[in-house]
Amino acid sequence: MKRIVLILAILGLGLVCMQQRSYADKKMSHAEYAKTAIKDCNDCHKGEGVAPNHDSDFVRGHRVLASKAGNNCSQCHSQSWCLDCHQGGGNGEDLNQSNARRDYEPKSHRSGWLQIHPIKAQDNQQSCYRCHDEKYCVACHSKLPQAGLESKGFVSHRSTTTDQSWASDHGREARRNLQACQTCHEDGSVCKNCHSAQGGGGGVNPHPSGFKASNYNSRSNSKVCLQCHLPGTF
Amino acid sequence: MICKRFFCLLVGVTVVLASTFAWSAEIHGTSSTQYGWFTDVFSGNKQAEFGEYLNLSITKIDTDGKLSIQGYGRVTEDVLNGNGDNGRLYYLYADYSNLYDKVDLRFGRQYVNYEAGSALIDGGKIDLKSVGPIAFSVMGGRNVIFGLDGEASEMRSFAFGAGAYLAGFKNTDAEISYFMKFDNDGLARDQIGGTFKQYFNSFKFYANTRFDLPSETFTELLTGIKYFPTSDLVLTTEWYQSYPVFDSTSIYSIFAVDRYQEALIKADYTINDMLSVNAGYTREFFGEGNDGSDVIGVGCRIRPMPNLLVNLNFDRNNGYGGNLSGGGADVTYTPIKPLEVAAGIEYDVYVFDRTTGDETARRYWLGGKYKLTKNTSASVRVEDDDNAQYKNDWKGRVVFNYDF
Repeated sequence: MKRIVLILAILGLGLVCMQQRSYADKKMSHAEYAKTAIKDCNDCHKGEGVAPNHDSDFVRGHRVLASKAGNNCSQCHSQSWCLDCHQGGGNGEDLNQSNARRDYEPKSHRSGWLQIHPIKAQDNQQSCYRCHDEKYCVACHSKLPQAGLESKGFVSHRSTTTDQSWASDHGREARRNLQACQTCHEDGSVCKNCHSAQGGGGGVNPHPSGFKASNYNSRSNSKVCLQCHLPGTF
Repeated sequence: MICKRFFCLLVGVTVVLASTFAWSAEIHGTSSTQYGWFTDVFSGNKQAEFGEYLNLSITKIDTDGKLSIQGYGRVTEDVLNGNGDNGRLYYLYADYSNLYDKVDLRFGRQYVNYEAGSALIDGGKIDLKSVGPIAFSVMGGRNVIFGLDGEASEMRSFAFGAGAYLAGFKNTDAEISYFMKFDNDGLARDQIGGTFKQYFNSFKFYANTRFDLPSETFTELLTGIKYFPTSDLVLTTEWYQSYPVFDSTSIYSIFAVDRYQEALIKADYTINDMLSVNAGYTREFFGEGNDGSDVIGVGCRIRPMPNLLVNLNFDRNNGYGGNLSGGGADVTYTPIKPLEVAAGIEYDVYVFDRTTGDETARRYWLGGKYKLTKNTSASVRVEDDDNAQYKNDWKGRVVFNYDF
């Protein structure tokens, strides 16, 4: 924590120093080019030494472009342009755009998205949460039956907790995609059966090495810790 | 219900301001009246709804033109199963720009995006600019979270953030920001984000990261280079790593997790006005073992005639978590200026680790749009999904748009 404070202090000092100098090359506003064809943008950008930025990789890579506290995009796009994909909406003008219920379905959600999303969700675990809160996933998965459900794609779900392979299989899969566990086992009660320090589950330690317990204790007002530990024991 | 009230507020704002500021304000937007039908995945019932989507922009309210109001929302009514109405207010905010030529103010429901985190908030955002090469931003308010049919926000869902970014260097972009989120149980998320972009003559170097304060871990780290010897050719190479991160108030935040990494190379080449192609390869690494996945993707864009556009793309993901191969093709044709017709197919073949055989998912769609007058248009889009869950699942929309 001290290192972070130190880094921030140095950055802050740097900012103060930079504020003192004049700056001739002020960034130009692109607002007046909002309706320019992308091809014309690229021609100009290349001449200025700026990479063309609305290429075929835009869907995956635009998060780097959406910088300057969101002010980069807003010069040309209204918020609906972002939210049609990130939060929903859509005026139906784009014939290429499918609907998911009442809102546009992002183009990254191809064909039978309900069927293939378990595979996609195992790529970069951060991708889903750029648009969806975990509550969104739970809203669907909580409606599914919790018993007897065939969970595709998880080796650990082929066996039960009494099988020898259970410990290694579920541990490996949970470490790689814990967010998938959360979508169905929202409150983690099934995890606590074995990992809680209370009760007869054995108290198998689930924490990573170098676990910063005090950080979570203070932020959750001890509520997270008290789910598995008795007061005064952590 | 809350969203429906907000939507009524959006309409009310339009009417009131239209009458109050009619002498000066400009009101523009799009009214989209839609009839849509789809299958409810939980009940299996076909649902049909009428909806009104309203996108609104009111400018030149004051004499200096600094104040504007922006709004966007929808309300729908089920007409088949009696499921009632549904609404969502995406944003409705007042924007006051260039106060003392240095401050931008924005209050109301709005989408805020910092490198450290993004949120839809009912609150305010203040930007301080033109005070040097660094500009500053601060925001805060109620954190609005959409669930399936309504808001899923908790009673004490709040989000706050602050950022500073370079605004005075022609070839350099940088931002550092802080984002925090509260829920009913306390401080759920607090993280620092940063991004950096440096432009050279034919190179662009960029990096982007998020640092999670509770776990004291860089949860995301991306570095990349784009090389563009001409404006028609862009070569990209990237390395990315991430750790799953959870709300500090969730039991899942205390579990050990593995690192995910990926390395990517990609080429994007516009051969001429008629043809552009792209291809990429990504190697994904899961955990510290040997498990990985290879992802290749290719695509092209063909415009044989000025009024005909064809898009083709294919990707193949082979490795940990299952195999997935598929792609899409679509064609857009404009036979006469007011008419646009389009059709496409999406096709995926996939196999989960657990299943013994391949499954397929197919989507066929067809659409048409006709510009009736300068500011009105009508469109239809129909699609059929054929997959493991549905043999033929028809859904679509009929739209009438009015630009004002």
